Amino acid sequence: MADKLLRLGAVGEEDAILAFKAIGAVTVPATTEDEVTAALHQLSRQGIPVIFITEQAAQVAAEAISRYDQTMDTAIIPIPGIKGTDGFGAKRVRDNVIKAIGADILNQNN
Amino acid sequence: MAQGKIVKVAGSLIVAEGMSSARMFDVVRVSKHRLIGEILELRGDRASIQVYEETSGLGPGEPVESTGAPLSLELGPGLIESIFDGIQRPLVDIREKAGDRITRGIELPSLSREKKWDFVPKAMPGDLVAHGDILGVVQETAVVEHRIMVPKGVEGIVKSIEHGSFSVDQVVAVVEGKDGTAHQLTMMQRWPVRSGRPYQEKLTPQSPMITGQRVIDTLFPIASGGVAAIPGPFGSGKTVVQHQLAKWAQADIIVYVGCGERGNEMTDVLKEFPELHDPQTGETLMKRTVLIANTSDMPVAAREASIYTGITIAEYFRDMGYRVAIMADSTSRWAEALREMSGRLEEMPGEEGYPAYLSSRIAEFYERAGQVICLGKDKRQGAISAIGAVSPPGGDISEPVSQATLRIVKVFWGLSAQLAYRRHFPAIDWLLSYSLYTGNLSDWFTDNVSPEWAKLRQRTLQILQEESELEEIVRLVGMDALGWKDRLTMEVARSIREDYLHQNAFDDIDTYTSLTKQYRMLRLILEYGEKGQMALDAGVNLSDVIELPVRERIGRAKYIPEESLAYFDEIESELAEQTGALINRGGL
Repeated sequence: MADKLLRLGAVGEEDAILAFKAIGAVTVPATTEDEVTAALHQLSRQGIPVIFITEQAAQVAAEAISRYDQTMDTAIIPIPGIKGTDGFGAKRVRDNVIKAIGADILNQNN
Repeated sequence: MAQGKIVKVAGSLIVAEGMSSARMFDVVRVSKHRLIGEILELRGDRASIQVYEETSGLGPGEPVESTGAPLSLELGPGLIESIFDGIQRPLVDIREKAGDRITRGIELPSLSREKKWDFVPKAMPGDLVAHGDILGVVQETAVVEHRIMVPKGVEGIVKSIEHGSFSVDQVVAVVEGKDGTAHQLTMMQRWPVRSGRPYQEKLTPQSPMITGQRVIDTLFPIASGGVAAIPGPFGSGKTVVQHQLAKWAQADIIVYVGCGERGNEMTDVLKEFPELHDPQTGETLMKRTVLIANTSDMPVAAREASIYTGITIAEYFRDMGYRVAIMADSTSRWAEALREMSGRLEEMPGEEGYPAYLSSRIAEFYERAGQVICLGKDKRQGAISAIGAVSPPGGDISEPVSQATLRIVKVFWGLSAQLAYRRHFPAIDWLLSYSLYTGNLSDWFTDNVSPEWAKLRQRTLQILQEESELEEIVRLVGMDALGWKDRLTMEVARSIREDYLHQNAFDDIDTYTSLTKQYRMLRLILEYGEKGQMALDAGVNLSDVIELPVRERIGRAKYIPEESLAYFDEIESELAEQTGALINRGGL
């Protein structure tokens, strides 16, 4: 059980996810929609509970990610890729906060 | 004959004195206009009489004459294709004689005395016959063989029986009773409307009355010999459902009672029925239909009688061994007529002003339906299925007429204003409606349609139920909050609603769906649900499952003509192919 909890996955451009190998994550390089979808299914089937995905990869396979939004056993977390962040991950967090409490408390302009 | 004098006139109620020799429910003739009335109450020598015609101009002192007989119908050849008013006056003949409006006191026989019918004897001289035995037959229309039965009270040996062309009042047979009296029998007999016609034995209905309406046949079937109610608010399509049933219900005879509804609705029936063809016989629907019309502008007292007139005619055909369906539209108007008369009689009002005997009167009507073994040696079976529309004010079925009806009927097709507003017709609400016959009928469906039928039906209801639960969640937190499995369930439910339950009464093909086609359609939709679920499990994206090209063909399956059902095999294999391709790609 402890072993399972510690397992991490990483999906995205090869350069970006290489570093995750160093901490023992299962990395799957993927850039096209089909590749990313297949990678997510593969990691999820292996029972990996936390999967990091680069923002770019996440955007090409938005539908596949939405499948895991409603499941309890896999969490998919977008992270900035090698080109830096484009705000995709932050927007997801903000949307979830709005849905949960009904107000946009993370908006820095306020 | 009792001859009395009017002492009071209150609308359609008249009080007359000097009526001590009259009996309850005797028919009387009122005033010099000879208006038809019926005795409702006797107190000493005072009789309260409901008059079936307009009473304006009547005053105290005018004569009232009892005919000494209860309100009775003339039963014999000539009923089919006729249109009668609430007390069986022939409206077509009246129009010929008196014009568009029924003039007061008009007297015409219910059945034409001029028309000749070809009587073919079935009994032989020397046969011992009793009430209900068949004496002979008359081919009344292309589809209805009118069986002439021995009337009540006659039992004995056939002395002579004719063969040939006769009118309904000519003697066709002579039966000698045990006491030596010779009964001269004509093709016509009379029966008092308020008493049910006897039968040998009442049976439990075991087969459905197929209506060709998918939501009814699949989800809430009515048994042949069953009773159903269609309550629904104004504008929700009660009348269209009734018309659809009158057109397509699998019955030998249809009795349609238009009771207190708009005149143009009866006109629709009169215009459409002669043009529509019965899928079973190929003849026009009018050839098996009897119409009773008491529209909203006709006298209210005759409305009260119209329901009994209808059911008595239905019983008469049932006794011949036919399956009869009687539609009453609407029983609420009839109950209002009861209420009006009860108020004038100064009876103690019950709930919402309806008389205290409202529920027993409603029960009396529905209890005359059922599947029976008829009187007669041949033990033939007949059935009456009764379908009553109820129009609760404001659509609130907690009112007395709906409640009294629901206590008796076993099928409830609740129409919903919301569905009608969304243009979903027939607007029968699947979450509200029920049929208590499904248990009795499941064996029939298993043997005659498919062993899978009960399972499919159960699954359909389950999906619809799940949909309503999921809709609550969607309303709270939005569609995004649902998992894909649930999203697909919603899609399948939508398909069941739009592609299956929704049925266009005005489309030539969609208006009637055979059970085989219903089964194929339902199986197709549920199979899509199952295959879609498998694809999701295999990792296919939801949008690919929802946008499967074959779905368009599934949606259009209702327009496949009955004679090209092989088309369904094609769609099924296309569905299997497309989902198979998705699954193969889905794992990636």
